Amino acid sequence: MELFLQSIVNSLIQGGFFALWAVGLVLIFGVMGVVNFAHGELVMVGAYTVWLLHAQNDVPFLIAIPVAIIIAMMIGLVMERFLFRPNRTDPLAGLICSIGVLFILQVIAHEVGGTGPAKQVAPPFNQIVEIGESLRIPMQRLFSLGVAIASLGVLWFFLTKTKLGWALRAVALDREASALQGININRISMIAIGVGAAMAGLAGALMAPLQNITPHMGHNVIITAFIVTIVGGVGSLSGAVAAAFIYAAFHTFVTAYFNGTVATICGLLIMVVVLIIKPTGIMGVKVSE
Amino acid sequence: MSIKNLIICIVILAGLVALPHFLAYNFQDLLIFLAVNVLVVVSYRLVTLTGEWSLIHVVMMGVGAYASAMLSKMAGFPFWISMPIAGLTAAGIAALLCFPLFRMTQFYFLIGSFAAGEAIRLVWIYFIDPFGGSSGINNLPPPELGDIDFYEPIPYFYMTLIIVTISLFILYRIEKSRVGLTLNAVHWKAPLAESVGVDTWKYRSLALIVGSFFVGIAGALKVHYLGVVTPHQFGIGVMVFVLIWVIVGGYASFVGPIIGVVVLTVFDQGLRASGIVDPAVQPAVYGAVLIASILFMPEGLEGIGKRFFSKSSGENA
Amino acid sequence: MGITRRNLLRGTAAGIAVAGTGFSTQLLAGQKTVKIGLNIPMTGDYAPWGLPGLYGCNIVANNINAAGGVEIGGETYMIEPVGYDHGYDTEKAITGYNTLRHDDAAMIMMLGGSTVGSIIGRAQRNKMLVSTLLPSDITPDTSNLVAPSESHPLYNCTGVDWLADNFPDAKSAVIVTTNDIEYGQQSAAVYQAAFEARGIEVLDTNFHGFDVTDFAPIVQGLLASKPDIFCMATDVYTTPLIEALYNQGYEGKIISCTLDLYDEVIAKTSKEFVEGIIFQFPDFDDPALQSDDILFPDPSGFWDTFQKDYPGQWSAVAWEYPANLVTWVSAAQAAGSIEPMDVLAAMKANPNPPHVFGTGKWWGKDLYGLDNCVVGRWPVVTMQNGRARIVEFRDVGAWLDKNLDILKRKMQDLGLRTV
Repeated sequence: MELFLQSIVNSLIQGGFFALWAVGLVLIFGVMGVVNFAHGELVMVGAYTVWLLHAQNDVPFLIAIPVAIIIAMMIGLVMERFLFRPNRTDPLAGLICSIGVLFILQVIAHEVGGTGPAKQVAPPFNQIVEIGESLRIPMQRLFSLGVAIASLGVLWFFLTKTKLGWALRAVALDREASALQGININRISMIAIGVGAAMAGLAGALMAPLQNITPHMGHNVIITAFIVTIVGGVGSLSGAVAAAFIYAAFHTFVTAYFNGTVATICGLLIMVVVLIIKPTGIMGVKVSE
Repeated sequence: MSIKNLIICIVILAGLVALPHFLAYNFQDLLIFLAVNVLVVVSYRLVTLTGEWSLIHVVMMGVGAYASAMLSKMAGFPFWISMPIAGLTAAGIAALLCFPLFRMTQFYFLIGSFAAGEAIRLVWIYFIDPFGGSSGINNLPPPELGDIDFYEPIPYFYMTLIIVTISLFILYRIEKSRVGLTLNAVHWKAPLAESVGVDTWKYRSLALIVGSFFVGIAGALKVHYLGVVTPHQFGIGVMVFVLIWVIVGGYASFVGPIIGVVVLTVFDQGLRASGIVDPAVQPAVYGAVLIASILFMPEGLEGIGKRFFSKSSGENA
Repeated sequence: MGITRRNLLRGTAAGIAVAGTGFSTQLLAGQKTVKIGLNIPMTGDYAPWGLPGLYGCNIVANNINAAGGVEIGGETYMIEPVGYDHGYDTEKAITGYNTLRHDDAAMIMMLGGSTVGSIIGRAQRNKMLVSTLLPSDITPDTSNLVAPSESHPLYNCTGVDWLADNFPDAKSAVIVTTNDIEYGQQSAAVYQAAFEARGIEVLDTNFHGFDVTDFAPIVQGLLASKPDIFCMATDVYTTPLIEALYNQGYEGKIISCTLDLYDEVIAKTSKEFVEGIIFQFPDFDDPALQSDDILFPDPSGFWDTFQKDYPGQWSAVAWEYPANLVTWVSAAQAAGSIEPMDVLAAMKANPNPPHVFGTGKWWGKDLYGLDNCVVGRWPVVTMQNGRARIVEFRDVGAWLDKNLDILKRKMQDLGLRTV
């Protein structure tokens, strides 16, 4: 019973991260039609920034987080302006360029961090919250879950209640029609990737005290983000969030009760099955091409 | 093939036969890997002729590698038999995957092929028996033929050269044949092809299966020289290199990817030898080359080559 | 040796980490040098089990050279460690082997595992001497492969034995480790055998992959059966695992093979929490190491120099590669030659080969197929007040004599090769 409760808590926390990862990817793909293969590296950049500032240079954690967000966002904007925009008509080219960025970012992380083992960031909040007899949750994890949910809430508000948010969704639905309505596609693309990259950077910053920080930590992020995005629906943000928590629960429970590698294999197979049966995902709407 | 091209090929082959004798010992290995990689990119191009970019190609190489490794080490098959079976195994798995994969197109096919490949790789990692898990399988027996010592790079290179040349020849003939022309039609004008009764699904599958056959053979060639097969030899990182070679070289013609892999491999070795760039930084150089290639050289090196030599078109459909 | 074909078209050896990180040698004109190659991971997940070894060799070699070098067969040589970073990639390991061999390395030292598997066939044919830290690499066909300083994971039995003697109430255990053969599985087999030999029940063994980011589910799953002992069988991820244990408020015994970078573990948990963790690797300024039966040159001096020149980089292997180097030197002197096969013969001719923690014996025929591994005493270490301190030395050979059958059975159950 205790394991079951713990696993539920873990699922929620992981789900928060998965959602942050996936939402960024969906925004970029939905609005700009391009797959950002370097998305995992944007998360990694967030984590390294926190390591560099907070663990190595004693910058307070709560200041390091916004810095991480800004740096990830700036990288995203640069990618949009110089790599994705010239290749608007050929999404494959954009994808290939993002792979180039992936390599460059990994090498930068390697140079910044130096050789040697994974970096560790000691958790700034190291109390442990105890609920009832058997449930113990580290404060750091609760903090990251809280911030993740808050950010998703802010994003939801932005997309549904603001004019800019509506413009984003319009472009995602039909780019040509939106352009005809006078929406500035370039500006919207910048905003989409800015927000997407910011979410990735935030996720990385929150993850930093919780796991090993290595130059290739992005690999796991991109695989999970793909699975979640596909299963949830490529054009749908709410689908991505729902799928994030469902997949997190699946993966956590299978890992706790059985084995982690098997969990990932199953996740990938589920994704392939979804692609075969309903490529637009559980809640997806067909994005016009 | 015109007489001029035939002569060029023969000259190149002769040069390759002589080349290892001029190289330092630890560079002779690289010729073997280069020859294998040429087969990998040319077989990949066949797959891309259908217009779909698959990310499973390198995993298919691994399927062939594991098949040959397991047959030769555990079942005692000689290399000369395990290698073709490796190709057939990769082709077989590809055939099975055609059913699910080709229901997707474009972006979805890309992700789907990536997922299927990664799932296969994780199976190798998870099932220690019989795949050896993360550590893979080692002590693979080399080919045996009379007194030839296939542990030495030069004999192994000649054998690889022969097999790769034959494979390239077959692939070239396929491309020039009716099948190849139909594949091109499927790529550029699928609806039109369908309207004259071409079963696009069948042709896409054919490309994937044949491409996988040859890359499976490449996998066997590679691991029997190394003596060890591990899942990490066939990860997404390696697949990305294949993409880089094909894109930078250009994929409009048969030789484009070959140019790409040769030029980039030489460039890579030159970079290492010069010591200008720390080996840890080299992936970033590749990344930059890739980006520059997409932005400034969309036709790849072969495009530049074409303009430079101002060849008349019509030689390559 | 003159100009040979290999000098043509050979650029600066690709990938060789310049042996200039802290290494200096006063080379007199005409001074002979003998190179010892290290084909090891210096980047990537396994970097902590490679790079610190090169640093340690630099220190020991500097000391030897400063004292005038070594006399072998009537000639005086300076020692030059030369490293190659293969990043735990089997192809690069082959290139590293070729490069070092053609750079005239007299011996090639390696970490072990699949990277050794990929080069040992060549080493046999080239008559090159190779050392490993993993005796499980040894097979009847690898006569040129020796494991002179480390007998991983056999020595893990000592920690379990000591735990059982000192905490007789601990009756159940869980084991966690990585799912690879050379470290995780081999180590798990030894721990399982050691627990069984002392009547401790192993409730669960969890093999996880290298891509785990969140260890909480794994640890929680294992703790659900309420074990008395939590065992990490050579898991590279000791830091996040112990952190997860801390988050769970675990109060039982913790035993591990390694506990690298324990300062980071303390930063993530607390000094109190890590107090009493049992493992197998001492800090070299330990008082118990400063005695005459320890056959390592000046352990505390070595520790001090290492902490000064390479702060924060100490790991379990920092002294193991230099120990192999020192073994090579004494065998070469006995052989009067630097030729690999002569040195190997001299090593094997000595029935009581030197071992860091006292003389040992050649062992391995009954398990791996060849007596090419040196086993001897091994320290049991616990965390005491934030430092690693030896509590006792135990005899690995004696344990093996008594419990080999159990070990073989456990290994076979896991599908590991035994004779």
